[in-house]
Amino acid sequence: MADIIQTLILGLALGGVFALMGSGLSLVFGVMRIVNLAHPVLIIAGAYVAYWGFRLYGIDPLMMLPVAIVILAAIGVVLYKLVFEREARSAKYSEMTVLLTFAIAMIVEGALGGFFSNTQRVTSPDYATDAIFIGDVFIPTGQLYAGILSLIIISVLALFLKYSSFGYAIRATTQNREAAELLGVNVNRVALVSFAIGIGLAGAAGCLVSFVFSFFPAKHWEWIAVLMSLVVLGGMGSLLGTVVASFLLSVIAAFVGTYVGATWSTMTFFLALFLILLVRPQGLFGEKPELA
Amino acid sequence: MSELLHVSNVTAGYGDGPAILDGAELRVEPGKVHCIIGPNGAGKSTLLKAICGMLKVRNGDVLYKGESLKGLRPDQVLRKGICFVPQERALFPKMTVRENMRMGGFSMSDKSGLEKRIDEIEELFPILKERRDQHAGTMSGGQQQTLAMARTMILKPDIVMLDEPSLGLAPKIVQEMFSIMKMMAAEGITILLVEQNALMGLKNSDQGVVLDLGRTLFSGPADDVLRDPRIQDLYLGGKKAA
Repeated sequence: MADIIQTLILGLALGGVFALMGSGLSLVFGVMRIVNLAHPVLIIAGAYVAYWGFRLYGIDPLMMLPVAIVILAAIGVVLYKLVFEREARSAKYSEMTVLLTFAIAMIVEGALGGFFSNTQRVTSPDYATDAIFIGDVFIPTGQLYAGILSLIIISVLALFLKYSSFGYAIRATTQNREAAELLGVNVNRVALVSFAIGIGLAGAAGCLVSFVFSFFPAKHWEWIAVLMSLVVLGGMGSLLGTVVASFLLSVIAAFVGTYVGATWSTMTFFLALFLILLVRPQGLFGEKPELA
Repeated sequence: MSELLHVSNVTAGYGDGPAILDGAELRVEPGKVHCIIGPNGAGKSTLLKAICGMLKVRNGDVLYKGESLKGLRPDQVLRKGICFVPQERALFPKMTVRENMRMGGFSMSDKSGLEKRIDEIEELFPILKERRDQHAGTMSGGQQQTLAMARTMILKPDIVMLDEPSLGLAPKIVQEMFSIMKMMAAEGITILLVEQNALMGLKNSDQGVVLDLGRTLFSGPADDVLRDPRIQDLYLGGKKAA
């Protein structure tokens, strides 16, 4: 019984981090129909921001959160202006973004390798290796902090989307771009700001990831399918869906890891991706695609 | 000059494609209901899209109160006082009715004034009050059209452009839509209506405008247009109009 609870706790703790990793991806797809294959590499870039602060100045990765958000959001603005804005009206936009972001992912990976080498890194604040014991069950504090902070950040995002005027504009643009424009929303500005927020979230996720997983520039290839499976299971563009899917899949992966074998754990995400696309391609909370 | 809006010799089309509008003329008089009719592909919807800034005006000009709207974005045209309800109704399916109404007033800076205005509109349309917390996408076609039309009134616009509000609705519901349109006109809103069903559109309008192949063939009081032999040839298949 303790084993089951233990596995559940480990799954839940990681679920929060995955949710944050996927939420930026989901937002960017929802608003702009950009399938951002570069999202995971930008998370790694965020992790390097935390690493840089930690190694050089001994700053706690959690303190680096705002810095990473700002730096990555700025990168998002540049990327959007440089690459995506001019293509926004193209009929094959989503398809094109797959190739564009794939290229960006390789460029960023190369740049990170050049600056930071390909050595495995991890930030190691004290809490990263600590754990809280409750009876026989332990909760790794690093994962606990990362999970809780992820949920706080996602909640702030959700409240912003639900109640702020700009949040209304973002949701409206996601649901019906043309209608939003007709009602006075400057959709180009919404797209730019949402992209910046999405990439800023990658920065935040990177800080938290920096002490939960070890990382190196090429690590992002492993995460693309994992994050895609979360976002597809949740329903492309649905924030709530991404959160639910993250907890669901990371708990299942934890159980697979414990009871089937650690090497099979990652398979959970890939299998889920296949199954969802076969059985319910619109995901848990997504719109049923209209037949064109 | 009594006209509110003057579309003068406008050419427009989609992307780099051929010109759909090719010398369209339109004069809109304040306070009246204008109905644009014409066969499929005549450029009726295209004309509305060109006015509201969704399509680029290639040649000619769109003058609103003597000022050119050429080159403005849809959000800028809206702020001038022209609302457009496209065929697809421009609703947000996963937002509630109330949230959709709030989006209708997105361009208002006075947000408490907006809530008050929404309350006023809800009094005019009890069905929207009743369904305020329901997602717009789950309502019937008629209710959705009611929401789309009622929502334009939030901004107290000068002109509301309606692209086939009757599309896909049962005849009885269509009559309701025309009643709403007349209610809007009674509030002093100038209406520019595109209608596939020429007979029904003209019967509910003051002015008629006939488009064909991107050009304005003729226009005049709706009754005259309805009786004009040319429109029977062009549009009603040569049969006598009712």
